Amino acid sequence: MKIQFKKQLQTMKPLTISLISCFLISCGVSNLVIQGSFPTPNINKIPLSVAVYYDDALRAFSYMEYSETGREEINIESGESHIRLFNAVLPAMFEEVIEVEGFDDPNVQGVDAVFAPVIEEFQLALPEKTKLEVYEVWIKYNMRILNPSGVSLADWVVTSYGKTPTETFLSVEDGINDAAIVALRDLASSFSLNFTRVPEVQDWLSTL
Amino acid sequence: MILFLKNKAAISYVLTCFLASCTSTTVDEFRQGETGIESDESVVILGRRQASDFETKSDFVECVGKGMSQGENAISVVPEREFVDAMFPWFEPRTAPLRATDLEQLLAEDVVAQKMNEFGIRYMVWVEGFTETTGRTGSISCTVGPGGGGCFGFGTWEDDANFDARVWDVNSLRNVGTINADATGQSYLPALVVPIPLIARVETNACNRLAAQLKDFVNGE
Repeated sequence: MKIQFKKQLQTMKPLTISLISCFLISCGVSNLVIQGSFPTPNINKIPLSVAVYYDDALRAFSYMEYSETGREEINIESGESHIRLFNAVLPAMFEEVIEVEGFDDPNVQGVDAVFAPVIEEFQLALPEKTKLEVYEVWIKYNMRILNPSGVSLADWVVTSYGKTPTETFLSVEDGINDAAIVALRDLASSFSLNFTRVPEVQDWLSTL
Repeated sequence: MILFLKNKAAISYVLTCFLASCTSTTVDEFRQGETGIESDESVVILGRRQASDFETKSDFVECVGKGMSQGENAISVVPEREFVDAMFPWFEPRTAPLRATDLEQLLAEDVVAQKMNEFGIRYMVWVEGFTETTGRTGSISCTVGPGGGGCFGFGTWEDDANFDARVWDVNSLRNVGTINADATGQSYLPALVVPIPLIARVETNACNRLAAQLKDFVNGE
């Protein structure tokens, strides 16, 4: 009887471990990498040669969403998606675009300006917290245009917003991803259409 | 046997009438200009999404497009997603033209005009609206026990789908008309062990009627 019980216990052990592991995993932080593609803007090119510099903060940008009890809930990694977006938008906006590793990159000297975007803020609204049937994302950027020596030519703030349609039966991850993609499209549209309307940019362009 | 068949037919008839009477649809048309379309021209149907509190569902826009591109006098309809991506960033929620007169400024951009020509767009249809659920009453309770489970109760609600379609003529850069489709219907959910949903298909009805009316409108009928 005792031997049989021991045998049963041995067979139960892996099952118990896997159950506890599943439980613990479900309680942990879920990691979400924003995935999506962006269309190339259909706009007239500005005859400029621009270098783009993505700093480490932008490349590795992530946002942590906390539960109402203060527990880490979802880690949203959006750095790569921002780079994909700018890589789709900038070549459609400017005659020549090169990516540089920093201001000491020798290629910087041959361009008209260096574009260095910064993400200042990322906000998320989940249906479980807002009681609305939509996922919403706000992103605030600081768009910086510098000359090849690193002196600021223009510096302006762009905010983008994205939400999912109502009554969608999406998982939390899919909902956040979809809202973030809409926000990134919003950024691309306002940035590409309003670039030459920014007063500082207009002043700089008039000097060329 | 004959009595049973007669009863069956009567029950089917009553059920059909009951289900059909669940939804009523009204379509209003306001014409502001002459219309007509050539075989090499097409229409694009776009959903309005600039409002913060609601946005026109892409499923509904797709349904209207499908309805217009099928059957007698079918019209070539460019899919919304394909058009919006190809015209990016000019038709995003915050950048899309709000008035027909804005089209002139938009088409002044040679890249936009060229893309519009490639698609052969003659009419741009802006669909705006949503479905609202009101008057939710009744209650259903479900229990599960060792011997099985079941639900008991009754629920009912009213759905109202209201959609406007504004038709812009890309050639004359004018709003040539507006069509409104309003479908209301009562849905029921009786539960006697198993819940039996009797859903009023207001959105489908609004879509079908709007698509049929738009097709006639664009064809100039």
